[in-house]
Amino acid sequence: MTLPTPYGKVAFYPGCALDGLGKSYDISLKLVAQDLGIPLEKIEDYNCCGALEVKNVNTMAGILLPARNLALAREMGADAVVSACPGCHYSLSRTQYYLTKYPKLREKTNMYLEKMGTNNYDLKLMLVHAVEYIYNTVGIEAIKTKVRRPLTGLKVAPYYGCLYVRPKSYTLAGYMKMRDDPERPFFMDEILKALGAEVVPFEAKTMCCGGPHVYSDVEVALHLEARILKEAKRNGAEILVTDCPLGHVAIETNMEKIAKKYGEDLRTPLAYFSQLVAFAFGHSPEETLLTANITNPMSILKRYL
Amino acid sequence: MPIPELEKSIVKGLIQKDKVIVDGVELDGTWNAFMIERTQTGYDPTVWDEIANTLEGVTISACWQCGTCTSGCTMREYDPDYSPRRFIDLARKGDKQALIELQNSLWRCVSCQKCTHRCPKGVLVEEVVHSIHHYLLKHGLVKKDPGTIFDEIFLETVIKNGGRISELTLGAAAAKAGMVTLSLKDLINISAAILKGGLIKDVLRPNRVKNWDRVQKVLEEAMKEEVVPE
Repeated sequence: MTLPTPYGKVAFYPGCALDGLGKSYDISLKLVAQDLGIPLEKIEDYNCCGALEVKNVNTMAGILLPARNLALAREMGADAVVSACPGCHYSLSRTQYYLTKYPKLREKTNMYLEKMGTNNYDLKLMLVHAVEYIYNTVGIEAIKTKVRRPLTGLKVAPYYGCLYVRPKSYTLAGYMKMRDDPERPFFMDEILKALGAEVVPFEAKTMCCGGPHVYSDVEVALHLEARILKEAKRNGAEILVTDCPLGHVAIETNMEKIAKKYGEDLRTPLAYFSQLVAFAFGHSPEETLLTANITNPMSILKRYL
Repeated sequence: MPIPELEKSIVKGLIQKDKVIVDGVELDGTWNAFMIERTQTGYDPTVWDEIANTLEGVTISACWQCGTCTSGCTMREYDPDYSPRRFIDLARKGDKQALIELQNSLWRCVSCQKCTHRCPKGVLVEEVVHSIHHYLLKHGLVKKDPGTIFDEIFLETVIKNGGRISELTLGAAAAKAGMVTLSLKDLINISAAILKGGLIKDVLRPNRVKNWDRVQKVLEEAMKEEVVPE
C-alpha cells in the first residue's frame, strides 16, 4: 500500500551520486520511503544530469542531458520527478526553465530527443527534492508515529547545501506552494525534530562547500567547508546532517585536511538525513549503512542502540 | 594630484620614491608617489552583443549595477578581486583589457547561486559570469584555468562511461590532471567505507545507459549546435 502524493505520480531520479559513493543515501532513502508507504520508483535508464560542469563546456549538452531524463520520466507516466541530489534537482530545473522560456530551443531539443529514441518532453513535470517530497507527502505527525528509536538529546546541524532551493528562477521557491524557504529552509529541521533530535541554531544551512571546485580549487573548498563545520561546532552540534551527496562526500573526504589546517576540534561526523530517519525508525546501523560513512557517525549514535 | 596616504594601498602599481626633484624643487610627503600610466586603447562594444546573444548571457542587459550579487557572493569573501557586478560592467563596456587582468579571479565561481537567486532584476548572474568567462576563453584571450579543465574532464568522463559518472574514474582523471591530492590516510578511510558499504561494485563499474552508443552519437551532433536565446 502506498499513499497518494500531492504531486501525482512520482518518478525517482537517483543521479550518479546515489549509485556511487552516495549509496548510503540511496539505500536509507528507500528504507524511509518503504516505512512511510510512499512511492519511490526509479527512472531505470537515466543518464548523468551534467551537474554544474557540463553546462560550462557546451550549452546544448547542458540542456540535452537533463532533458533526456525528463522525457524518460514522462514515458513512465510521471507528474513529478523527485531528486535526492540537489545538484540533479538544480540541473533538471534549469533545463525546465530554459525549455519553457525558449520555444526554438525546445523544438531543437525535442528533435534530438527523438533521435535518441525517447519521446518529446512536454514540460509537464514538477521537480521536487526528496526532503520536500517527504515533508509534504507524509507530514511531521506521520513521521513521529513511526519512530521506534527516539534520538532524544542528539544535537544536529542540518546542512541543506546551495542548490536545494536556489535559485528561485529555476526552483520557483517563493512563487509556489510546497517549496521550502530559500534563505532559511526548515523542512529538514522539522523532520529531524520529529525524530526527537535537537536542532541547534545553524546559520550555515545553505552556505557553499566549494561545489564544482572541490577538485580544481582545493584551498577555497577547504576554507568554505571549514566555515560550515565551525558554525556547526560553535553551536554544539554533534552530527552534521546533509541532504546533498556532493557536499557530503566533499566534506567527508576533506575532513582530514580540514582538521589538520583549521583545527582538530572541527572533526564532526556526517550522516544523510535519511540515514538518521531510517535509524530512528528502528533499522540497524548496517541496514542504514551508517557504519559505512567515512566520518563514522556511529561513534555518536551508538548511545541510542 | 597627490595620492592620499589611505588610498596608496589600493592603487595598483604604485611607485613611491624616496627623493624626487622636479625643476629643482624637492617633492616629499604625498607628492612623491606615482601611478603607472595606463592608456585605455578602446572599448569593444561587440563583447556585450556577443554575450547577450548566448543562452546563458542573455540576461546581462537587465543588470542595473546595484551590487546585490556581489555583496552576498561566496567567492568574494575569499578573493576580494571577485566581483560579478564589476565583471558585468566591464563586459558591457567591452573593456577586455581589464577582464583579462582579472582572469585569475574570473573562473573561480563556485556556482552557489546566491547571486542569481537574489538579483532583483532577474539577471541569471551565475550564468552570465560563466558566459563572460566563456567569451574570453573562446577568443583565446585568457589561459585555460583548472575549473574549465575539470569541467571538460567531467563531460569526457560522462561520455566515456556510458552516460554516467563514476567518482573513481572522475577522481582518477582529475588526479591525472594534477588536481586531487588525497593523503594515504584519506585513501585508507575512503576505501574502508567503500568496502564496508559493499559499494565496491557500484563505484568501480557504474551501470551504463542501455543504448548509450546511439545517445552519444546524437549528443555529439547536438554539441556542434550554436544555441541562441530564442
